[in-house]
Amino acid sequence: MSLNETKKYLFRYKRYGLLRYLSHLETMTMIERILRRTGVLFEQTKGFHQRMKLSFGQALPTGIIDLCGLFVASSVEDIKSDFVDFVNSLSPRGFEISGFEEVEKNFKISKALMGYEFKMLFNMVPPAPLAEKASKVNGMWIVKFYKPFNASVPKNGEFGQYLTLRSKVVFSEVHFDQGIGGR
Amino acid sequence: MNVLRDLVDVLDKVRKPSRYIGNEYNAVHKKDVEVSLCLVFPDLYDVGMSHFGLHILYDIVNSSDFAVCERSYLPWVDMQKLMEERSIPLYSYESYKPLKEFDVVGFTLQYEMSYTNVLRALRLSNIPLHNSDRTNDDPIVIAGGPCTVNPAPMKRFIEAFLIGDGEEAILEILEAVRVGTREEKLEKLSKIDGVYVPGYNDKVSKRIIAEMGKAPLAQIVPYTEIVHDRGVVEILRGCTHGCRFCQAGMIYRPVRERSAKEIYDIANEVIRLTGYEEVGLLSLSSADHSQIDDIVSLFKNLKDLSVSIPSTRVDAFSVELANAISSVRKSGITLAPEAGSQRLRDVINKGISEEEIFGALDNAKKFGWRKVKLYFMIGLPTETDEDVMEIGEMLKRVKKMGFANVSATLGVFVPKPHTPFQFAEQIKPEEAWRRFKLISWVRRFAKINFTDPRKALIEGVLSRGGEDLAEAIEMAEGRDLIFADWSEMFKPDEWFEVFEKSGVKIEEIVGPKNFEYKFPWDFVNVGIYKEYLWLEYKRALKGILTPDCRKKCTMCGVCMNFKVKNVLKGEKRVISTSNDLR
Repeated sequence: MSLNETKKYLFRYKRYGLLRYLSHLETMTMIERILRRTGVLFEQTKGFHQRMKLSFGQALPTGIIDLCGLFVASSVEDIKSDFVDFVNSLSPRGFEISGFEEVEKNFKISKALMGYEFKMLFNMVPPAPLAEKASKVNGMWIVKFYKPFNASVPKNGEFGQYLTLRSKVVFSEVHFDQGIGGR
Repeated sequence: MNVLRDLVDVLDKVRKPSRYIGNEYNAVHKKDVEVSLCLVFPDLYDVGMSHFGLHILYDIVNSSDFAVCERSYLPWVDMQKLMEERSIPLYSYESYKPLKEFDVVGFTLQYEMSYTNVLRALRLSNIPLHNSDRTNDDPIVIAGGPCTVNPAPMKRFIEAFLIGDGEEAILEILEAVRVGTREEKLEKLSKIDGVYVPGYNDKVSKRIIAEMGKAPLAQIVPYTEIVHDRGVVEILRGCTHGCRFCQAGMIYRPVRERSAKEIYDIANEVIRLTGYEEVGLLSLSSADHSQIDDIVSLFKNLKDLSVSIPSTRVDAFSVELANAISSVRKSGITLAPEAGSQRLRDVINKGISEEEIFGALDNAKKFGWRKVKLYFMIGLPTETDEDVMEIGEMLKRVKKMGFANVSATLGVFVPKPHTPFQFAEQIKPEEAWRRFKLISWVRRFAKINFTDPRKALIEGVLSRGGEDLAEAIEMAEGRDLIFADWSEMFKPDEWFEVFEKSGVKIEEIVGPKNFEYKFPWDFVNVGIYKEYLWLEYKRALKGILTPDCRKKCTMCGVCMNFKVKNVLKGEKRVISTSNDLR
């Protein structure tokens, strides 16, 4: 990895299994520590208590599986595609980075994001207003819905669902919706 | 059996579920071994994961070829309730296996107030509380940690106590339980140095390692923010100052240092393998390290890393050290003069003068600290009202130095086994409240926290009591008096009711003792002669100082008894304390 001027990267991650029980803050700390283990020089915040400078997508309530987490990090090092496997080898079970790509210096998650698609999984017929929207797959009822960025997200179990997934990110620009780097 | 499936639904319903999920980075998942051990810290995960001793043993056992070590903690009450409702037993954080299925379950007894938590953990595990009720189908329940220097109160519940350093003994213990009946295993355990098996051996000497061993590098990284959320390097074990109230200073003798180079290398590896942004240098007194200057210069090279030193002495050098090594914001500095008057500081052999305290504070001010927090104890032997009032005078002087914020915490002194003050009387809550009042005028310019004297009395009873406390501990657990160190769970009146009903003689336990008094822990040899402790107590009452044993052997007995000596890696830097000056 060669030292250049700082480049900005958008990473996409999945967080599932037992790790769905992490709070947003715990997820951020976990990711920062995973990145530190790679030894790559990511940009730090200024000030006394230095932390890695990371920005994230919308925070999720504890208990929700995240299949489309996002964060932005900057580095003076060139990040190559083999970084994905390397960083995943340093991650606990239930977390993986699924891809990344370099973004413009002025890129901001909050500006690029339109919203997210969610799925609620029920092991019985969902309550009335949701039942109509539900599709039955393999003995499970799945309700899909869209939430714009920063709208409130239902807690897991709130409607009797046994699992809640944040399944897809919707960007305001077509470019980002086509899938990002890596897998 | 694996409880993971049952946990899933429960975890959606509790506060901070991340503290129950295990699956942390660097946790070891080892299969197909002959012996399994589950180490339990009998408190919440957030506290227990911060305890370094458990990480040391975890690393040693999991590096062996025949045994596995997993972990467990006591769940908070919301989780306990759900687990009981759904018959989910207490489980390990690696294989989610019930504790009852392990060969050995090991508790660490770090503080007396956690005794009832141990019983709750056993109950949640469906392991019989009494060791006499356990059969070949139950695990062997062992305990280690500082409280085991008085094993008597927990004797009914524990099969084997490991007293002293566990690094070598833990593997010998696991080796001993590989085969045989319960009785045969206990018989073998009782033959191991440092292990006390009630009913099998009636004398025990603490286990000691002559030098610091291999350090755990791939430390488990929690998700939950824990009390000490950082990598750890134990830079030295033991302390030679000989403060007469301090149990750690007595029972962890002699001093064993790691070299500056080794400390630096370990820190680098820990950071690389964990990704921590902070490393803590663990010791009873960091400034005493004979190579502390080298350590400071080495750590200055490490960029993007915070370093914390939890324990420093009250002198100008220690503050300079805290300034040099730590990159944290200078919001507050904590110093522990322990007593307000010079007379009383000499009684406890703290070995610092007023000049040194204010030298430290001058330095703190010079280096930019704006807040200062001071720790004191009330009820030290020989304390008079004048001594207490001098705490106020000291705080007044500190405030006048120009600190923006001065605060003080006043605890009630609890005499501990195997210290010179084991012979001393502990003051009662009423007297403590009276003495607290003597300095309440300080509230005009400083924030004062008084720790609850009733808690101190309960702790005092649990720490110096004997076998007959078992009844009370059991009754207290039955009444849900668990997590007693958590203020929202602390019910002092109920504790005193339990003591009364179970016939605990509070007066006798916390009252003054003479040399002839038969302590419940007299059969435990931590290396220090009882005669030495008595002599030290006598010297204390006369206010005579005893020097640091690095300069001159004080004949406490540890080095002679165990054929060990202080292990210092650098030049014997002269630690200038007032003990030399006066």
